[in-house]
Amino acid sequence: MQLPGADRSRRLLAAGAAAAVVTVMALVLIAGFRLATQIRSSLGVLQATSALQTYPAVIAQQLAALRGQLDTLEYTGHVHAELGATIHKFNQALAVIERRRGLDPAAMRRVGRLWRAYRPLLAPVLAFSAEPYDDTDTGSSLSAAGRAYDAQVRRAQLFAQEHARELHGRLAALAAELQARTAAAAARLRTLLLAGVLTVLGLAAAALYLQIARTRHERAAREAQEQTRDILKTVREGFFLLDADYRIGAVWSEALTRLFGRNDFAGLAFEELLRDRVSAETLATAVKYIRLLWGERARENLMKSINPLGQLEVSMDNGRGGRESRYLQFDFHRVMGPKGVKHVLCAVGDITSNVLLARELQEAQENAHSQLDMMVGMLHADPLQVSTFLDSASAGLKHVNTILKEPARTDAEFRKKLAGLSRELHSIKGEASALNLMSIAQRVHHLEDMVGELKGKSELTGNDFLPVVLKLDELLAHLRGVREMTARLVTLKDGSPEPGATMSVPQLRVVPAEQSGAPSALERPARGGGELATMLQQLAAKLAQDHGKRITLTLSGLGEVPDAYLATIKDCVIQMLRNAAVHGIEPSEARRATAKPEAGEVRVDFHRSEKGYELLFQDDGAGLSPEALKQAAVRKNILTGEEAAALDNRAALALIFRPGFSTREEVSMDAGRGVGMDVVARAVYALGGKIGVSTNPGRFTRFKIALPEASQAPAVA
Amino acid sequence: MLREEELKTFVDGTTQYFEVAAQQPATIGSPYLLEGEPAMHDYTGIISVSGKREGVVYFTAPRAMLTVLLMKMQENDFSHESMRDLVGEVANTISGNARRDFGHDFVISVPSVLTGDKPDIPHKPGARSFVIPINWRSHSAKLVVSLT
Repeated sequence: MQLPGADRSRRLLAAGAAAAVVTVMALVLIAGFRLATQIRSSLGVLQATSALQTYPAVIAQQLAALRGQLDTLEYTGHVHAELGATIHKFNQALAVIERRRGLDPAAMRRVGRLWRAYRPLLAPVLAFSAEPYDDTDTGSSLSAAGRAYDAQVRRAQLFAQEHARELHGRLAALAAELQARTAAAAARLRTLLLAGVLTVLGLAAAALYLQIARTRHERAAREAQEQTRDILKTVREGFFLLDADYRIGAVWSEALTRLFGRNDFAGLAFEELLRDRVSAETLATAVKYIRLLWGERARENLMKSINPLGQLEVSMDNGRGGRESRYLQFDFHRVMGPKGVKHVLCAVGDITSNVLLARELQEAQENAHSQLDMMVGMLHADPLQVSTFLDSASAGLKHVNTILKEPARTDAEFRKKLAGLSRELHSIKGEASALNLMSIAQRVHHLEDMVGELKGKSELTGNDFLPVVLKLDELLAHLRGVREMTARLVTLKDGSPEPGATMSVPQLRVVPAEQSGAPSALERPARGGGELATMLQQLAAKLAQDHGKRITLTLSGLGEVPDAYLATIKDCVIQMLRNAAVHGIEPSEARRATAKPEAGEVRVDFHRSEKGYELLFQDDGAGLSPEALKQAAVRKNILTGEEAAALDNRAALALIFRPGFSTREEVSMDAGRGVGMDVVARAVYALGGKIGVSTNPGRFTRFKIALPEASQAPAVA
Repeated sequence: MLREEELKTFVDGTTQYFEVAAQQPATIGSPYLLEGEPAMHDYTGIISVSGKREGVVYFTAPRAMLTVLLMKMQENDFSHESMRDLVGEVANTISGNARRDFGHDFVISVPSVLTGDKPDIPHKPGARSFVIPINWRSHSAKLVVSLT
């Protein structure tokens, strides 16, 4: 990955090196230029000084030559002109070195003084322009002017003889000084140039090194970028960064494109990413959570534990024009900067297959547990009892299916089914609980829940019944499994392992009863009252355990129950027993407080009567309170307040036989749906019987069921 | 076990056909499990399913319903062939909906059409049959989903 800080310092270093190279070169060039100018000027002065130091000797020679020519009366014009030129050059050269500063001032002053003394002596010589000779017939001789001229030359010559050497020496010293200075300047220039070149070379080497390092670093950065790109391209999770405005950054992994089927994430608000894919409520929670992540004080571990997007069900386009549910897992990690949270790194994974697998695993585990529970339950139950129950349950579920099959188009027609479904299911559940076949009881309970929920819906349609019919199918499949298991247990118990034994147990099929010949709940084969008594005792024990109560069940006369009434009596007693356990019998502490025996007593007595048979069911529990029954009826909208107030105690007690009535607020496996006594009453009425209830609050509740002679009972469809 | 979403896909495919073809949506009646032999109507459009689930899905409708449907579709041809084509189209819509929702999980055959009240439906052994009444105007047809 690229580190911007390090890169910036490297860039600054390179820029600094370049600036240093330029500066050094500029300084070297300026200094070199000045030195070169100085050398050039020194060379001019040196040249002038070198020439100057020769002139005194030349002037002396020319003066001597003039003297010689005057002596021999020769022509002096040429030498005179040369002398003039030499003096002129001397003046010029002297002017040059006088302009030059920095030369030894004492030497310069001495030279100036000597020349100023010499020059007046030379001036008349140069100024001479007359004829120096008088030509006569006898020969030539110096004229008067010539003699004066000769005297002037001699004076100048005398001065030259005295001072020309000193002048020469002074000028030579000046020349030597100048030469030394020029040599020193040249040496400085050389040193400067060398230092400049070395510095430039050093800086160039440094710049080259930096450039190489930069190139190497850029290559590493490029490789790192390529690697990052490869990671983002290959990784299976969708990665992106969220900024402080909860918007997605400019970089994201390709998996995000695959997950969301779009590619316009840059700058997209996180809220928009999920909009139309989750419910408004989930979206609001998600946005709140994202905001929380930016809080400085929120601890990451704590935030992780409350992440509402750990397993988010979203609706996605399935690529074929339809939509499908998928499960996404969002993980958030805060990226801290010097000023607090800089970004939030978000990782999104598709965990649909994991979720579905976990769900299947859980279902499999639940099935295994329920099968185990079922096995344990059945080990304690009589196989014949179980088999009879399965027949009865399958007939009951057939009736459920028949209720569903009745044509319905309107809400009223659909709603009409609910009461019948509830009654039938409640009855099956009661029997299953009595036999401790909890896996069946729980499934029926679940189905009852579904039907109960439908009651609360404002407008019912066929769509609402789809889950019900699916659950019914699942329940039937479960019953088939239980039947197979029962058959195996029978085989084990009988010690007859041949596979044919399983065929002896009737198979559960949803086919019309008249075709299958399977006995319905009310037509099953007769069983002894002893068997019923055992089953009821087991149920009483289980109910006592489930509800934390103590119950003593006393049964009498059940052996007298005619076969035709056995099923109804069993269903009724089961329901009444459950009601007694839930509503009637008080907990032991409450019973102690009212001086009752700790164990509640339930008596069931079946006997012949004048007109047929009579069943008495009595518990010594809390009894029924007519006022409480009225209040419950008003609460459940079965009666208005006025109607309830108008009821006498007898009519109030009769409320418990109304469909949908229960004083219990919460629904449990044993009570609360308000279909229990409704089922009992309907079953009794179906046999042409009557049911009545009497109570003494705090003392007892007594149900009396009167049934006609068995032969007079109406045929049951 | 068949899931509710799967059942709904077939149901929606059927009701949508009525909504699109006749601009009058169909509603569904009370669903139930098929007992014994299915009660068939005059014309049946059927698709076979294999893959994740196996079995058949069919739409069976009485002639009277199909006639009114054709009239609503501004058709003048009420022949036997026309009726066959119509239930075939309904089956085709159901099939399209299933392909859209299930993708490669389900392999769905080209629809075929059966006539008469006792056609030979190739039931898959062990498959439970769900019957969903399809109510449209005063008529009633059936969608039967019979999958393992």
